[in-house]
Amino acid sequence: MTSFAWPLVDFAARFLDRDEHEAVLGDLVEGGESAWQGLRAVLGLVLRRQALLWKAWRPWFASFVITIPASYLLSGVSISVTCTAERVLWHKDLCPMLPTGHEGYGLLLCHAVLLVVCAWAAGFLVGSLARRTVWVSAVLCVLPTLATLPSAFEMDPFLRWSMVLFLAPAVVGVLQAFRFGTMKLPSATLIAVTVTILLLLAWTNHALWVYNWFLLVPTWCLVATAHSPRRSLRAAA
Amino acid sequence: MLGEFEYLLISAAAARGENAYGAAIREELESTTGRKCSIGALYTTIDRLESKGLVKTWMGEATAERGGRAKRMVRVTAKGVHAAKEFYDAVTRVSQGASWAVNRTGGGS
Repeated sequence: MTSFAWPLVDFAARFLDRDEHEAVLGDLVEGGESAWQGLRAVLGLVLRRQALLWKAWRPWFASFVITIPASYLLSGVSISVTCTAERVLWHKDLCPMLPTGHEGYGLLLCHAVLLVVCAWAAGFLVGSLARRTVWVSAVLCVLPTLATLPSAFEMDPFLRWSMVLFLAPAVVGVLQAFRFGTMKLPSATLIAVTVTILLLLAWTNHALWVYNWFLLVPTWCLVATAHSPRRSLRAAA
Repeated sequence: MLGEFEYLLISAAAARGENAYGAAIREELESTTGRKCSIGALYTTIDRLESKGLVKTWMGEATAERGGRAKRMVRVTAKGVHAAKEFYDAVTRVSQGASWAVNRTGGGS
């Protein structure tokens, strides 16, 4: 294998499990494969592995039921929070087309907490349900931003960038899911109840788009998939 | 029942005995069947066989000829031997009377 192509093959093999990465690269060296044959072999295996993952429901659910709608709604909430902050804190009005109801510090705080908690919960759910296909969710996250790109260019640059505010807590959620796997039932329930109360609060203040009720789905899914000692005992029995 | 490639893989692993690992099985398959065997097909089939309990795999030692990389060793389990025998018997039974099978045993002239 030529030295310049080796890092390319090695990089492609990083998409495999650690043991498989080791075994496959060793097989290529032992078989005296050329660099391009090796690359084709590794990419073929990576594609087969990815295709096998999509035979389960979890990647479909995480990518298309959670990621696409949640990222679309959360980018809207991100803009809403920015606009409300501009109006309440700095007395500017960059987006008069987005009414946010009876604005004030309380509602701003409610929106900001909703944004952070819902984005984190969606990220955690996607990370825990479909760890190995999370890159698809990452790509799909960009779709709502691309869809609104023409109108985004007419926006204030500050506002344009605020569309991706939700990404920071979502990425933290994904990373924590990688680390901890699933949530404990009391924590998941606390998050779901908090989000429900905040959404009700925003709704009663006429500061909630009706479709934003969807943001309850990731949080209650966390409850459904949470780890509880009682469930573990039942499973063991 | 096993698939054709699954049977070939189990047979190649069994033929290699204690020295059955990815590259060796692939070489055995290619030399005996005369067909190319991709690494993707090999490792996904090994995984499938392992999930069915027909083979057992573990990481072996690293050697210099492999650039210091470890081997994925494969051993056919008792269940795998039984499944392969069942496949072989079925192929033998279904081939009885077929011209190529008769000619091969010298009874078709």
